[in-house]
Amino acid sequence: MLFAAVSAVLFSLASTGMSQAQDALERAKSAGVLQVATEMQYPPYDFLQGGQHVGYNVDLFNEISKEIGLKVEFTDLPWSSVLPGLEAGKYDVVAGPAAITEERSERFRFLVPISESQTTIMIRTDYDGIAKPEDIAGKKIGVQRAATASKELASYAATLSEPPVVTEYVDYSQANADLAAGRLDGVANMSNNALYAAAQRPESFAVIAEGFGATSYSSFLGRKDDDSKALLDLLNEAMLTIKHDGRMAKIQEKWFGKAQDLPDQGPTFE
Amino acid sequence: MIDLFLTEALPVFVDGIQATLFYALGCLVVGFPIAVLICAMRMSTIGPLKALATVYISFLRGVPLMVQLLISFYCLPVLGVNVAPWAAALFTLAICTSAYMAEILRGGFLGIPYGQIEAAQISGLTRRQILLWIQVPQAVRLTLPALVNEAVAMVKASSLISVVGVLDLTRAAQNVASSTYQPLTFYTVAGALYLVITMSVATGGRWLERRMAAGRR
Amino acid sequence: MDFSVLTDNWPQILNGLVLTLKLWLGGTLSGLALGLLLATIQVNSIGVVWHAIRGYSAVFRGVPLLIQLFLLYYGGPSIGFVLSPVAAGLLGLTIYSSAQFVEIFRAGFESVPRGQIEAARISGLNRFQILVHIELPQMLIIIVPSLVNLFVIMTKETAILSVISIPDLTAVLNGIGSTTYAFAETLFALAAFYWILLECVTMAGRVLERRASRYLIR
Repeated sequence: MLFAAVSAVLFSLASTGMSQAQDALERAKSAGVLQVATEMQYPPYDFLQGGQHVGYNVDLFNEISKEIGLKVEFTDLPWSSVLPGLEAGKYDVVAGPAAITEERSERFRFLVPISESQTTIMIRTDYDGIAKPEDIAGKKIGVQRAATASKELASYAATLSEPPVVTEYVDYSQANADLAAGRLDGVANMSNNALYAAAQRPESFAVIAEGFGATSYSSFLGRKDDDSKALLDLLNEAMLTIKHDGRMAKIQEKWFGKAQDLPDQGPTFE
Repeated sequence: MIDLFLTEALPVFVDGIQATLFYALGCLVVGFPIAVLICAMRMSTIGPLKALATVYISFLRGVPLMVQLLISFYCLPVLGVNVAPWAAALFTLAICTSAYMAEILRGGFLGIPYGQIEAAQISGLTRRQILLWIQVPQAVRLTLPALVNEAVAMVKASSLISVVGVLDLTRAAQNVASSTYQPLTFYTVAGALYLVITMSVATGGRWLERRMAAGRR
Repeated sequence: MDFSVLTDNWPQILNGLVLTLKLWLGGTLSGLALGLLLATIQVNSIGVVWHAIRGYSAVFRGVPLLIQLFLLYYGGPSIGFVLSPVAAGLLGLTIYSSAQFVEIFRAGFESVPRGQIEAARISGLNRFQILVHIELPQMLIIIVPSLVNLFVIMTKETAILSVISIPDLTAVLNGIGSTTYAFAETLFALAAFYWILLECVTMAGRVLERRASRYLIR
C-alpha cells in the first residue's frame, strides 16, 4: 500500500514535467502562464520593494504579457544557478538580463537587446582611494559570482601590476552591504546597476567616472533548441513591437534616467 | 521605524512564516510514510532491499541538504523529473528527513518486545496489520523524543530552500534586510520568529509524549 | 558528464576543500571547548547563571545557522562589529555548535553520581582534578555517541558558509559549475566529497566509541 502511494505520487510528479509532446509555447499557452526565472537582488532590473517585485524587467514583461496574452510569473533564484537551470530545462525564459557575450551566445538564444552597460566600480562616497579603474590594484573589490562583471574584472585585473583582492558574492545586495560596512574598497558591477544604486543612496555610494572592459548589450534569453523556438520567436516579436512604438524607451527613462539607443538585434559572433 | 516595519516587512514576513510552516511540517507528513517504507526495507532479510535502503540512508545523511536541493532542482530534469520550485523544495526536504526518521524508527522497532508480535500473529493478524497497528504506533511512541528533535531540525533545515526559488522566512528576512538596509533589526526579528516556531514544536512534542504515556496506562 | 572541469581547476578546488576542513574542525573544536566550559559553569552554579546558560543554549539551538551567520556578518557592522567572512564563519560555527555541546555535557555531568564527587572532594582533589579525573571519564561512555553525532552534523553545516561569501568548497565548485555550465558535474563532486568525509568521520567515531567503552570497563 505504501509502495503504491509513494510511487503514485512520484509518477504524477514526474509526468507533470514530462509532457514533452508539446513545445515550450504550447505548454505556456495551456497553462496560461509564462514562467520566467531571474534573480531579485538586481536593481534596477529586478528587486523587491515592500515585498513587491518591481523594476525594469517587471515593467517590460508587463508590456510583453499584454502583447502575447499570457500571464508572467517570476521565480527568484541565486544568479549562479539561473543559467544552468535554463540549460537543464527548469524554465524556458530568463529575465536577468545577461550580457550578450560570445560564450553565452554559443549556448543560448538572446532576444532583443534591452540595455547597454559597461563594467564599472562603485565606491563609498567618502572614499578617495579609487578614482579610475587602474586604482583597484591591490584593493579589496567585491563582485557577484558568475556575473559578467566578475569575468571582466578578472581579465582587467590580469593587466594590472598588482591584482585586486576579489571576493565573490551570491548577489549584489550582499556586496553593496559589505562596501557600506567597509569590508570592501569597491564593488565591480554593470554601470546601469551601479549608477542606480548610487542615485538611490548618494550619501553612501558613488560611481567612478569611467568603466573598463567591453561595453555590452544585455537581454533576456532562452535555449537554442527547437522546443523553445516558437516561444522565443513570439517574445522577440512582442519586444520589437514594444520597442518600436516607444514603450521600451519610456520604461528605460523611468529606470535608467534616460532612453538608450539600441539595435534590434545583438551581436551574433559569426 | 514602526511605519517601516508595517509597510515593508510585515507582509513579507507573514508570507515567509506561512511558507516555512508549510514546508517544515509538510515534509514530515510526506516523509513519514517514506521513512516507514525505508525502515522496513532496511530491516528486511532480502539482501538487495536492505542494501538499497542502507545506501539511501547513508547518502541522504551524508550529503548536505543544500547540495541535495541543488541536485534535485538542477540535475533531475535531465532524468525527466522536472517539477516546480515548491514541489522540489517539499519533496527534497521530505526525502531527506525520511532517511533520518527511518534510522530513528529502526531503533524503535528493535525495542518492541517480540512477544507482542508473536501474540498478534497468533491472534491471526496479517503481516501488514501487525506493521500498521502494532509495530508503527509502538515504534513512534518509543522514539517520540527523537522524532520531535527531527521536526525541530527540519524547521531549521527549511531555511535553505530559497536556493531552489522558494520564498521562506529566511529569504523574506534577506529581502527586507537588503531593501531597508537594516540587517540587524530584521535578522533579529527572523531569529526570534524561528525561535518561537522551534520552541512551539518542541513544546507540542512534549505534550504529545505526555498524552501517549497517559494512553498507555 | 565531463569531469575535466575538476582537474582543470584543481588548485582552486583544493583551496576550497582545505578551507572547508579548517572551518569545520576549527569551529567544532572551539565549540566543544566553549560548550564544555559553559556546561561546567552551569552545573556548578544556581539561579541566574544557570538560567542564562540554559537560555544561551536554547536560543542558539532554536535558530537556523544561516540566520545566525547573517546576523553576525551583515548585522554586526551596524553596531561596529566588522568581521571578515572567514572569522564570521568560524565564530558562527563555534557559537552554533557550543549551544549543542552545552546540552550534551550537562547531561553527562548529571549522569555522574554525586557521591563520587563528594568522595573525591573529601580526598582532597580540587575542582579541576575532579573534572578531569572523575567526571569526564565517567560521562565519556554516555556522551561520546552524541559528540560524534554533533561532529557529523557540523560537517554538513559547513556547506552553508558559502552564502556569506566564504570561498569554501561549496562556493568554489558552485562558481566553476555556473561559469563552465558543468553544473551537474560539480554538484556530484561536492556530494561525493561530503559523503566520503561523513563516512570517514562516522567510522572514526565508531572506533572512538569502542575505545571509550573499553576505557570504562578497565
